[in-house]
Amino acid sequence: MTISTESMEADITRVLLDGRLDIEGAAAIDLKMNVLAGSAKFLLIDLQKVSFIGSMGLRSIIIPAQNVHRRGGKVVLFDPVPMVEEVLKASNIDQVIPIFHELDAAVAALQ
Amino acid sequence: MPIEELQDLIVLDSQLSELSRALSWAEGLANRLGLNENARYAIRLCLEEALANVVLHGYRNEPGHPVVIRYQLSSDMLSFAIEDKAPPFNPIDTSPSATQAEPPNLESLVPGGNGIRLLCQFAESLVYERLTDRNRLTIGFSIFPPAI
Repeated sequence: MTISTESMEADITRVLLDGRLDIEGAAAIDLKMNVLAGSAKFLLIDLQKVSFIGSMGLRSIIIPAQNVHRRGGKVVLFDPVPMVEEVLKASNIDQVIPIFHELDAAVAALQ
Repeated sequence: MPIEELQDLIVLDSQLSELSRALSWAEGLANRLGLNENARYAIRLCLEEALANVVLHGYRNEPGHPVVIRYQLSSDMLSFAIEDKAPPFNPIDTSPSATQAEPPNLESLVPGGNGIRLLCQFAESLVYERLTDRNRLTIGFSIFPPAI
């Protein structure tokens, strides 16, 4: 599991995740996700290259998202593959962290 | 290697680092059966959630206890029976209802509350038994069309 970031317009930080967000994957990104959650105001979490997510991976998204939210920021999820999206929906996460498949719409939701 | 030659059980020690062995074993089985991506995902998800639950909650992350997984194959179902000697625990009893109200906001979302919910939603069947000295959780998956 790898994690990288890039700065976008309007103070948005795009977080690119790549690999399996299983127990090992979650452990690999948790520290960096928590650091990002303490500094970034608008997070676009790019899930295009995440092939798997389990409950530990969900934690790696929920906890940083809550921290960003408490600081007055916003988080969106971008373009998960169908089975990853199914897990997000089964967990009701899509109800509180919106999922977008179009980049323009994801960026607009953060502004 | 024909399916008959695959080892029908695997024994893990009760630590999270052991989970990858079980997942690789199950992946090998899925390969032999020619299962599709969705079935593979469901199997991986459910085994990871169930085994993590045994290690973290059943054995409280204490190594040195065996966890035995066996597979069974019928014409249209692949099942995994997970046995452990942790205190009695029926995950089905603790499952949040799939129809429960949506969380009204991000703050109300419980970060750690999803494992058993996912297990219940992605398994085709889920049976818990308390045997004399151990728990057995049997997780079944439909395999259509029959692969062998």
